[in-house]
Amino acid sequence: MHIPDGILNITTIATTYAVSAGGVGYGLREARKKLAERHVPLMGIMAAFIFAAQMLNFPIIGGTSGHLIGAALAAILLGPWAAVLIMACVLIAQSLIFQDGGLLALGANVFNMGIIASFAGYYLYRFTTRLMGMSRRGKLFGAFIAAWGSVFLAAIACAIELWVSGVLPIQVALPAMAGWHALIGIGEGLITVAVLSLVIATRKDLLELQKI
Amino acid sequence: MKHGFLDRYSDLDSFIHKLDPRTKVITTFAFILVVVLTPPTRWQAFALYFALLASLILLSKLPPLYVLKRSLVIVPFVLMIAIFIPFFRPGEVVGSYNIWLWEVTVTYSGLLILWNVIVKAWLSILSLIVLSSTTKFSELLKGLEQLRMPKVMVMILSFMYRYIFVLVAEVIRMKQARDSRNFGGKRMWQLKTIGNMVGTLFLRSYERGERVYGAMVARGFDGETRTLSNLRFERADLYFGIGFLVCLAMIGLSTLLYL
Repeated sequence: MHIPDGILNITTIATTYAVSAGGVGYGLREARKKLAERHVPLMGIMAAFIFAAQMLNFPIIGGTSGHLIGAALAAILLGPWAAVLIMACVLIAQSLIFQDGGLLALGANVFNMGIIASFAGYYLYRFTTRLMGMSRRGKLFGAFIAAWGSVFLAAIACAIELWVSGVLPIQVALPAMAGWHALIGIGEGLITVAVLSLVIATRKDLLELQKI
Repeated sequence: MKHGFLDRYSDLDSFIHKLDPRTKVITTFAFILVVVLTPPTRWQAFALYFALLASLILLSKLPPLYVLKRSLVIVPFVLMIAIFIPFFRPGEVVGSYNIWLWEVTVTYSGLLILWNVIVKAWLSILSLIVLSSTTKFSELLKGLEQLRMPKVMVMILSFMYRYIFVLVAEVIRMKQARDSRNFGGKRMWQLKTIGNMVGTLFLRSYERGERVYGAMVARGFDGETRTLSNLRFERADLYFGIGFLVCLAMIGLSTLLYL
């Protein structure tokens, strides 16, 4: 889902850059307010964690594989604004070191996989756990919904950007992106559930961290 | 510490490597911007952009084959778009083919969009490769800080960069352990294993973060990091920057003049 440069048009680039820069700026303020000077090492190392976790590929169907995005996982554990910050750092490093995702498309990538995915993940988790209760089952089910929804909604945002830029017609871009990522989302969901159940089993207290 | 997969070739010695990171960030940004704004029908302009980039690659002593190979990362995305070209809105038909049961028609406007995407994405990725393979990430971050990226963001990014090496090494070790235990089985089992690996990685990272923070506080960390800034904007930067931007502007403007 990392959009390279040269695909989005200038209006989309400018709009998504503005929104993402605003979001990251607000996230930085929130993190500083709630974590004081602790936020720098914590956010840095969590960004490195998501970066490393994205290296683990999982099988989808017929030999294709996908990897974790991790926005929902970060949002469940640390809160939505922290997740926006972490994802922004991961995407900046991926773009500048691996050219995975473009420099001018960075705004759009942070918007999709940072802002949309984090907030979708966080609120879907909150909503589901409120509905099903804060039991282990509720939490794990919530994590699945959150992770699946975050991937799905990020893909839809990506499809809309491609459509607005005149690259693909919406009646093609939307079903293609949404359909494919509905599948990838299952993998993301199951892995997030496994991670959460491990954390519940070993260090339950880390689920009760202050959310940013 | 030196890892082959990060920062490769960024310690070569060439004119481009010696430029100030700010010069390189600004010229790269300007280059991609101008490329994106160029109308797709001006193929001469794209040829000139390519010539400009090729001369930079030669100047920077990067192995051209390596740059070419790196630029293939855009292939999956472009391929995805290429698949849908036949579905494009009707226009002047270039040809229609029968593939299995489908009657596929390729239109002129569809091909134009594909060409637009391929050429722009490729030129952009080439310039990004030149930027990142001629600049150390730590230098790049210093440059970005000078270019008004928030200081906290730069601090978080440099932290992240420091620990990527540690955590990636951790992942590689875990993968090795997994594969040597004959990783196979059903897809669900594989997903569960990967989930447990990510979970363990999270716990280890979080605990490491706490230890690192404790160690920093013990050494008097107060939320600020102080580093030496050794960035120097030299005369070479000025000449290179102006020369590059003038070339770029001339090529860009020529597309407007000969419509």
